[in-house]
Amino acid sequence: MRPYTYAAARSVGEALERAGDGSAYLAGGTTLVDLMKLEVVSPAHVVDITAVPLRGIRRGPRGLFIGAMERMADVAGHHLVAEPYPVVAEALRQSASPQIRNMATIGGNLLQRTRCGYFRDPATPCNRREPGSGCPAVDGHNRSHAILGTSDACVATHPSDLAVALTALDARLSLRGAGGERTLRLADFYRLPGGTPHLENELRPGELITGVTVPALPWARRSTYVKVRDRRSYEFALCSAAVAVHVKGGVIREARVAAGGVGTRPWRLPAVEEALRGRPMRTETFEAAVAHAADGARPLARNAFKPALLRRTIVRALVHLAG
Amino acid sequence: MEEQSQDDGVSRRGFLLTSAAAAALAATAENPRPAAAAATAAPAEVVEVALEVNGKARTLALDPRVTLLDALRERLDLTGTKKGCDRGQCGACTVHVDGRRVLSCLTLAAGLGGKAVTTVEGLAEGDRLHPVQRAFVACDGLQCGFCTPGQVMSAVALIEEGHAGSEAEIREYMSGNICRCGAYQQIVQAVRMAKEEA
Amino acid sequence: MARPSMDRIDARAKVTGAARYSADHKLPGMVHGHLVTSTIARGRVVSMDLDAARAAGGVVEIYTPDHRPAFQGALTGLAAVFAETRPPLADREVHYHGQIVALVLAETVEQARDAAALIRVTYEAQPPNSSFEDAKEHAVSPPSVPGLPLGVPIKEPENVDIKAALAASEVTIERTYEIPPRHHSMMEPHAAVAVWQDGRLTIYSGTQGPAAHAMELSGVLGVEQADVHVISPYVGGGFGGKAFTWAPAMLAAAAARELGRPVKVVTGREQLFTVTGHRAASSQTFALGARRDGRLNAIEHATISQSLGEDPGYRTTPKYYAAPNVHISMKITPGLDLPTATIMRAPGDESGSFALECVMDELAEELGMDPIELRMRNYLESTLKGKLPYSSKHLDECYRVGAERFGWSRRGERPGAVTDGEWQVGMGMATAVLDAGRAPTTVRVAFRPNGTATVGNATSDAGTGMWTVMAMTGARALGLPADRIRPALGDSALPFAGSSDIYGAVGSAATATVTPAILTAAREAIAKLAEHAATAEGSPLRGADDVRYAEGRLTGGGKAVTFGELLTLTGTAEVGAQGTSADLDTTHAYASYAAHFCEVRVNRWTGEPLLSRFTTVVDAGAILNAKTARGQITGGVLFGLAAAMCEEGRVEGATGRISNANLADYLLPVNADTVEFDVHFLDHPDTRLSPTGARGIGELGTVGAAAAFANAVHNATGRRVRTLPITPDKLLA
Repeated sequence: MRPYTYAAARSVGEALERAGDGSAYLAGGTTLVDLMKLEVVSPAHVVDITAVPLRGIRRGPRGLFIGAMERMADVAGHHLVAEPYPVVAEALRQSASPQIRNMATIGGNLLQRTRCGYFRDPATPCNRREPGSGCPAVDGHNRSHAILGTSDACVATHPSDLAVALTALDARLSLRGAGGERTLRLADFYRLPGGTPHLENELRPGELITGVTVPALPWARRSTYVKVRDRRSYEFALCSAAVAVHVKGGVIREARVAAGGVGTRPWRLPAVEEALRGRPMRTETFEAAVAHAADGARPLARNAFKPALLRRTIVRALVHLAG
Repeated sequence: MEEQSQDDGVSRRGFLLTSAAAAALAATAENPRPAAAAATAAPAEVVEVALEVNGKARTLALDPRVTLLDALRERLDLTGTKKGCDRGQCGACTVHVDGRRVLSCLTLAAGLGGKAVTTVEGLAEGDRLHPVQRAFVACDGLQCGFCTPGQVMSAVALIEEGHAGSEAEIREYMSGNICRCGAYQQIVQAVRMAKEEA
Repeated sequence: MARPSMDRIDARAKVTGAARYSADHKLPGMVHGHLVTSTIARGRVVSMDLDAARAAGGVVEIYTPDHRPAFQGALTGLAAVFAETRPPLADREVHYHGQIVALVLAETVEQARDAAALIRVTYEAQPPNSSFEDAKEHAVSPPSVPGLPLGVPIKEPENVDIKAALAASEVTIERTYEIPPRHHSMMEPHAAVAVWQDGRLTIYSGTQGPAAHAMELSGVLGVEQADVHVISPYVGGGFGGKAFTWAPAMLAAAAARELGRPVKVVTGREQLFTVTGHRAASSQTFALGARRDGRLNAIEHATISQSLGEDPGYRTTPKYYAAPNVHISMKITPGLDLPTATIMRAPGDESGSFALECVMDELAEELGMDPIELRMRNYLESTLKGKLPYSSKHLDECYRVGAERFGWSRRGERPGAVTDGEWQVGMGMATAVLDAGRAPTTVRVAFRPNGTATVGNATSDAGTGMWTVMAMTGARALGLPADRIRPALGDSALPFAGSSDIYGAVGSAATATVTPAILTAAREAIAKLAEHAATAEGSPLRGADDVRYAEGRLTGGGKAVTFGELLTLTGTAEVGAQGTSADLDTTHAYASYAAHFCEVRVNRWTGEPLLSRFTTVVDAGAILNAKTARGQITGGVLFGLAAAMCEEGRVEGATGRISNANLADYLLPVNADTVEFDVHFLDHPDTRLSPTGARGIGELGTVGAAAAFANAVHNATGRRVRTLPITPDKLLA
């Protein structure tokens, strides 16, 4: 860990003021402290925002607002989340460990960095960490890597479960920076790696995530998050599916489907949603609808199973909602 | 490093307050390579932290890189909290901060001003073990013992959180603490026994 | 009869955080060491830029291949076979990715860590030869190691023509099973705190064998064994990974000698994967020939592994089933640019039992026979070679009782026949056989004026329950309550005989080794005490010629006194004696047995195989402490299951780098992966092995567990996975 100066901020304004060239915001610390120890990131200044009151979980006219500094555990257990949006609560509860969920914030969760082993090891090249240095994952150990949205420069998955659920629900981010406040669809927030995988998102220098708004979607009560992994807990997704359906008279009126563990960002699947619409809520429908879920996927040497796993994970989630 | 008052730390923070310019931010994807800057890095800054550890007020003057885990082990001689991975991947370093279980290896001590930290050394009252500690002994919820302080701290929190319902729930909510010896079923039994007593 | 059961006497220290492990020691003036490891697998260090590190605050010293602390010798004994013989920082050559290239010593732990990261190493890299997969083709017969039977072909009869025997069999099957490298991943990383005084080293270093550790360190440091004092009362897990001496302890000791200051070296979690040993990958091919009635006619077993440590043919195959024709062979892949392999819990037995118990399941299916029935048809009554009878074997009872407890009769004969909603449910079983034995050892038992008695041996307790078993056995031998026994272990200054007992807790033999010696030493100590009572000035029994000891009291001449009173009256600090256990009776063979029964549920959509039930019935002689024995079995079973469920060291063939060298990517089971195991002990004391009748259990659960899981997965899905671990991707339809 390189030396840095440390300062705590008590308000958003103070945080923005204290942030500077090469500084990093410290919230839950579960990403930043880890990556500083690995020397994957080495900020010159750390601005601790744990005391910044970006809190609150409340219902408003545009949906559910969650303050960026709310902790994962508190959001997962909140009745305004768990009842109307089971998919969000389930995604959170299946994330990391209870201790990490007690620490990590919603804003930090959405900004967590990829778990790609090459990214996390400064002794290896990585275009995301060090632009232009190369990507050993393309020909290396890539079992956990992405099949969708990849480029020759980067095949790393986005690790957040929450982001997958929020992408399915079309959540919006509230951001605040020196230039004031703005909002952005989460779907527009994450960038595809392309030739510039080090530019991960649309956050501007100095900008803070202040909160997330999940649009009101009454039928999202019928939603779920299925996470497939190599052990039953405390583990990132091999593949996951966030699914919500609006069923009337046995027919699917609306559907939301997003996947994790397969994309370089949380992966919404509008074609699957479209294929579900107007069809009866049953297994045959699901199996037909996912047929093209992995279209355009570029499987790698060690993750050739992921297109099939993606299709089956979505079916399993839909079967749960049908049951 | 000993506990001491450090005026210097305070003035440095004051300096930061006034001189930091709002510009680029490392929370974005840009991460400048550290190596070049590192060689010429200024001498380590010192941050003063006043916190409570196991009910006692402590003041530490710390390099801001010091984690809570290293502060406990190296500065306060509270070595009950263990370093199993130092990466947030095993749970051996679990402690409570303001009553919540957290990983001390991923917690910077600098940010704990005014907080109350409880470690495994702070559970028993004199010779009288905490009910969770008693249950771990009675149910043999340990073998080598290295993960045990973290397991115990998690178990205490788990019961307070209300997550000690079914066996499946206990297992899920104890899954942030790895036990290589494989004492999991005895740990589950201990949680149940302690919960009955609570 | 109620089985003895007692809470761990070390539990209180462990649940309160009072137990001090190696890295918990802090000495005045101590400096902190941080290792720097290579980022290439083959080549040499051309240059090292240390300027930035030296300039960083608090750095005391940096050792490199060009400036290293002195080592005068090499590892001796078994460590020369099973540990890394090249001393750390020996020269600029790099032989594997993650090899130590520098040790940074600084005033604080952060300063050492952060300075280490500032060291820039320039390498001249060569393409490494790190792929076991590629090397298998060029595997060779291993060199023979004097005194070690590993790697030596086994033929029964000596002139067996195994190919002809297979060809003559009514049914033959041939299958290959692959197991990736595994890492001990004990929760306590290797750590050592070393301090020298007057030419003597005291080192706090967690080890399974304090005396062997002292011997090995003395060889490396060029000092007398008696001048190395290893202190290791608490060990945060070993599993074979702390059986021998590894670089971190050597460096701590050598650096402390050079610097004249105490030195602490704690291995980083990532570094543990390379600077300490691991279980080598293995590839095993079994060919079985059988009659239609299930009787085996021929067993051919050929193994390839990186190292001799993993010899499943020697360890497993001769000990399970009777067959008239047997041929076992092993090849190794020397010269790979990989970290050093060593022994790991049930070395050879875990891998061997996986392959053998899977191929038996495959044969049973081929024959349309119940897997237990097939095993019973080939029940082994005496050793394959030499036809020695087994001292006490109740494996048949294990099968019978286990099948009953588990509900084996409900198993669907046809794979994939049983479903429960989205889950395919399957049952599998496997046998565990583990050689038992013991070494002669020396124990000291002594009475003290405060009414307690000490029982000491240079063994260790890395979670096995040895502290408690020593107290219980001492209590039994002296007729005292266990809370008046003060066991001592984890210290190289304690007694040992100098047989293989020097290695302490290895090979599941510690309980069988130490407890009979406690009985012997207790008899000697009682005799000494009686003599003291009859002769010592101040003794109320002085002059009596009929002194007797029972339950802490001495009687004679019509008088009685407790030993505490006696020693107080005679002003004696302690009266005790050493006793050494007898040699093993070699007219019989010894082994522990278990029958494992496993149920899994495999998701029909996404393929996760989840453990849902497990029963094991154990025949391991007398169970001296049911509470800790149960932990040994449940922990051992999970250790073995982990090989099937999730564990896999992943080596990049092209770079020699382990791509998952951390606990987020090298997956150990978590609590949610497990279920309540049903463990049943048969409790037939093996009095031929020793007067305490206890055989080993530390590794027994591990043996066969992966096969039971794999067989259950096959029963659930019809899929036979022969390459571990059995991850969801391998079960996608």
